[in-house]
Amino acid sequence: MGNALTSILSFAIGSLWRRRSRAFALGIGLALTVTLVAAVLFLTEALRGEAERSQVALPDVVVQRLVAGRPTAVKLDDAKALEGIDSVASVRPRVWGYVFLPALQGNVTIVGVDKGVASLDASALEKGRDLELGKHEMVAGAPLARALGLVAGDSLGLPSPKPTPPLVLVGTFGSAVDLYAADVILCDEADARAILGLPADEATDLAIDVKNPEEARVVAGTVLERLPGTRVVEKHILERVYTLAYGRRAGLIFAACIPALIALVVLALDRASGLSPVEKREIAILKAVGFSIRDVLWTKMLESLVVASLATAAGLFMAYAWVFWLGAPGLRGALVGWSVLYPETPLTPAVDFAQLLGIAAATVGPFVGLSVLPAWRAAILEPMDAMRG
Amino acid sequence: MYRLLLLVLPIVIVVIGVDAHVRRARRDRDRPAIAAVCKRLPSGDLALSGGARWLRTPSLEEPGAAFQDGIAVPDPDPAGGAMAPPVGAWGTR
Repeated sequence: MGNALTSILSFAIGSLWRRRSRAFALGIGLALTVTLVAAVLFLTEALRGEAERSQVALPDVVVQRLVAGRPTAVKLDDAKALEGIDSVASVRPRVWGYVFLPALQGNVTIVGVDKGVASLDASALEKGRDLELGKHEMVAGAPLARALGLVAGDSLGLPSPKPTPPLVLVGTFGSAVDLYAADVILCDEADARAILGLPADEATDLAIDVKNPEEARVVAGTVLERLPGTRVVEKHILERVYTLAYGRRAGLIFAACIPALIALVVLALDRASGLSPVEKREIAILKAVGFSIRDVLWTKMLESLVVASLATAAGLFMAYAWVFWLGAPGLRGALVGWSVLYPETPLTPAVDFAQLLGIAAATVGPFVGLSVLPAWRAAILEPMDAMRG
Repeated sequence: MYRLLLLVLPIVIVVIGVDAHVRRARRDRDRPAIAAVCKRLPSGDLALSGGARWLRTPSLEEPGAAFQDGIAVPDPDPAGGAMAPPVGAWGTR
């Protein structure tokens, strides 16, 4: 059986070589389509994976106040109203917001640090140290510091509603957290309030940590009862946002690729619709020299299998190299985002064997399957009838 | 010799799978640093987006977002997309 299979395989490859132009055209079309589809999937999964890595640090519930449908500052008194809720471990008013830097023509995220927050260790910082409260210091994302030409010890004056002292850069975040903090300036809460123009009795939002995460929904309901007019964002909803946001973008890319996918379907239909007269004559000759119907079907299946598996392998390899070795040039801008301060950190693959096998099966299976029917139709004809056409 | 051609796809899948696994394991060593920094940030959203609408933290701001990223630029996250207008609104009067 092994020798017979090898013989049929060698005959199938010889047959492919005789029609190499068609085989190459088909293989290249299939490989490029697999590359595009797999690259979008790899990139989307990688982004979801990165977003999930930060989930552990998120508060269970975030409370925002809405005015005219837009988020606005919350009163610190609101926090006191929530502290008495059963199951609430802590309510933290947070001070953060955006400042437009004309020098960059982009926004940076200002985040205030309050007392009682654990300091950052060396693993989170690329250079320098964590800030000391009350000294007008800041820690910034490394891409932001580079874009502004700042090194440790330099001062930066930020646009603000009223004059504020410049912040001294004492450290930059490590590349491991670039994806989350590339555009972030971390500073004392008092400095953040001054820069953002936030009064002392207000905060940007409230972060609630719950003793038992299973009770987050109950807590969210109680918050809405006590603070009507607020928007309550639960942690599990944030996870859904990532899935939807990146899934929607991937869907748009796929929609743009519809012409390419249609071209592939047309190629597949071409295979399904029948064999060329030359191929029919070849099958008739095979039968005349003693090939059984099964041998003919094996030959045609192996021809398709060789083309489809080599094209899929090339497509998967090119997609992986494109996204994770080259950084997805061209695709990253369309799928990922448009930040002025772009994190340069390479993405981490989230793809596993099951997904790779799924892509391979979804490509190779139909391609091979479509080759069997026309081959069977030709193989059941009498050799003489087939040769006469 | 010819049988090796059929092994190319399994080999590529194994190579990609192993490389991805190694890179994930290496990235997992950054988890403590990511947790420490993200604990201070308003959200775990990736610092990827910008432009006029500035969806830096889409998980916290998306419902209120109202602008395109630029003039005549295709909007990847259309504002209000969660609720479409009633079908009757498209009918002729």
